[in-house]
Amino acid sequence: MVNDSGQLYTMEGVAAGVIMLLTAYIVISTTSIYTPGDTHIPDMQLEQLGSDVLAMMDTPDINGSDSRLNGLVRGGTGTGDTLRGEFLAGCKMRYEDPDNDLKAQVYLSYRTLSGNVSTIQLSSLDPEFTGRENTVRVTRWVQLPSGSTYDLPNLESSRPHAVLVEVLLWRA
Amino acid sequence: MACMNEDGQWIVLMGLLTALGLFFLALIINQSALVGQTTAEGVLEFPKNDIRDLRSAIFDHYDRCGNLDALMRQQNAEDIVRISLERKNAVVHFWNDTAQDISGRMLRPITIHYNNGVTVYNETVYY
Repeated sequence: MVNDSGQLYTMEGVAAGVIMLLTAYIVISTTSIYTPGDTHIPDMQLEQLGSDVLAMMDTPDINGSDSRLNGLVRGGTGTGDTLRGEFLAGCKMRYEDPDNDLKAQVYLSYRTLSGNVSTIQLSSLDPEFTGRENTVRVTRWVQLPSGSTYDLPNLESSRPHAVLVEVLLWRA
Repeated sequence: MACMNEDGQWIVLMGLLTALGLFFLALIINQSALVGQTTAEGVLEFPKNDIRDLRSAIFDHYDRCGNLDALMRQQNAEDIVRISLERKNAVVHFWNDTAQDISGRMLRPITIHYNNGVTVYNETVYY
């Protein structure tokens, strides 16, 4: 007959085994979460920030007047850099530090005389832009009224246009 | 084993409970990273801002193009549809019916369909 004293030690051994298994499970499952390039959380925050800033710029100061964004888009490529500057200033408003790493690039999509969709670069090209940045894209619809002449190639100005402002936003 | 001192069993038991408690806490921290990740993916995937902006663009279209001739109106609506398809990968279709008396105001029923392959959005709104 086996001596049945020291049962707690047996239990302790079992508990230790379970704890070691749990440890192994937690360690292995934790390392599989963060893989390189998995930056969804900052991307989500950046996208939300950019959308909010565009919405802010598209809100008129006085009811019935045109928004700042509308005015800057009407200026075409001439005011593209101003648009980018004011957009970035809006993005950095909540920070204490200047946040100089935040970069943006503004594009505009509209339909040309032939009816095709044309996308042009509204702001001048960022000198450090390589095309491999981990960017997010935020967009905003703008209605351009008819009658005025815009600094946009092949745009028929006799009718009102719905155009899409696209901003690429990234941290260098 | 048999001849070992078996005093202090409560201390041993409490030690075991503490260890288990710590592991559950570790498990919660571990899961929280996963939860943040999947939530962020869900937010990125769901085009909330796109749909809101599209709605306001369509209302803008009706505000500004209501008095234009049919061809210009159609061209402006086609701007929204074609640019959505080309730049936003979204199939958009919208139209309006004749205005009805809704609580003393004449409002048009506007039907909006949106589908970007992941999210489908359908709405009839009186505007």
